[in-house]
Amino acid sequence: MNIEILWQDFLGILPVVPQTIALAVIIFLLSILIGTVMALIQEYNVPILIQIVVLFKLFLRGTPLIVFIFIMYYSLPGIVNFFTNLLSLSYNANNISPMIILIVAVSLTVSSFQAETIRGSFLSVSHGQIEAARSLGYTPFQAFTRIITPQALVEALPEFGSAFLVVMKAISLGFMITVVDIFAQARLIASSNSYYIEAFVVAALMYWGIAVIVVKLTNKFESRLLSRS
Amino acid sequence: MVEAPSTIDIISLLLQVAHITLYILIISAVLGLLLGSFLTMIIVKNIPILKQLTTVLSSFTRSVPIIIQLFIVYYAIPPLLSNFGINVSNLSAVAASIVALTLYHGGYLTEVLRAAYKAVDKGQHEAADSFGYTPIQKFFRIILPQVVPVGLPGWGNALIHLIHDTSLVFALGVADIMGRAELIAAASYGMNQVQVFIIVAVIYIVVTFLSDGLVRLLEKRTKKYKLDSGLNAGGA
Repeated sequence: MNIEILWQDFLGILPVVPQTIALAVIIFLLSILIGTVMALIQEYNVPILIQIVVLFKLFLRGTPLIVFIFIMYYSLPGIVNFFTNLLSLSYNANNISPMIILIVAVSLTVSSFQAETIRGSFLSVSHGQIEAARSLGYTPFQAFTRIITPQALVEALPEFGSAFLVVMKAISLGFMITVVDIFAQARLIASSNSYYIEAFVVAALMYWGIAVIVVKLTNKFESRLLSRS
Repeated sequence: MVEAPSTIDIISLLLQVAHITLYILIISAVLGLLLGSFLTMIIVKNIPILKQLTTVLSSFTRSVPIIIQLFIVYYAIPPLLSNFGINVSNLSAVAASIVALTLYHGGYLTEVLRAAYKAVDKGQHEAADSFGYTPIQKFFRIILPQVVPVGLPGWGNALIHLIHDTSLVFALGVADIMGRAELIAAASYGMNQVQVFIIVAVIYIVVTFLSDGLVRLLEKRTKKYKLDSGLNAGGA
């Protein structure tokens, strides 16, 4: 193991770190959005849609992420083209960016876990809280935004932290469809200077560091929310 | 004109190499369970130094993408062992995959098993001790039967993760289901890529459902060892 190479690799990988984190944040936010929709569909038992959600969850329980990414990679352009043709738009989806495909595939995968987290955290708010809010004259919407959501958020926060890390790790599969993130960059550097172990160790340490920081931040944020609620 | 292979052809081509995926999966599941149990013992018995090492390993395997772990093991083991005079310069990709997945699965299971062990009430230990059980008798007759039903759901989830992650070993060049799928997709000039990967997905879905079924069967078998807690005492 060569210290100088480690340092060079570190400097080489560093520029893609903000990009990787930004990609992870986008996917994370999208997955919360889709997860909330899924949770609402399950909670209100919306016909047809609930069957689709349940089937989709079963599919994802069994399908490895990389297989899903490949399916999306090869089928998404066709699907988008079908719809643009239907609406007679002149958009050619064949040169759709692999980044978009990765975002769609990973968001959908993580959202099915997020749906469970969100459902569980809203169910954990006791009914007495809602009754108390209503008896104090809160409208249902006010009760939802001011009483229920803050408490559900405290419950969901540790899960959100680990979901973010799942997203970070999942993006590392983007190299299969030419998206460049920390791991893909490490791989490129390794094949250019043939110091494979060093590049992968540096990348691993970066992921590890990010994980430690995220866990610290969620813990801090959680204790702050707890003291307020 | 290249004829695209039919669905039946693709399925049979993929199943020809399914044994490699299953081989890696089963060996790393068994070794990972052993490693996880061993690491849990270290943590529970509070053995200094080894305990810190276990915590680091478990944190590492859970924080770093499995694809990097695979590559690190693949490239790092031969030079590491050559320091001790062991020459494995031609370490096969299959062996590297098994080592990496075993470490990953073991690290993951340590968390699951530790929580399950902690769930056994302290009174159970004291009762067994006061009956004059030896530590080994206590473990196998009193503690283990209670750890198993608590740990089973977590073990099932760990198995699902392991099954999903075996799909990545083709990145090291292992000719497993995914490796074969890529070859088929490339060979037919992109005519049936979606079809190939949907078939791969179905194969993996069948494997995960079999594993889920196995875990559920074991849960049913061991349900009688699960003590009622204060919450469901009268109910069951």
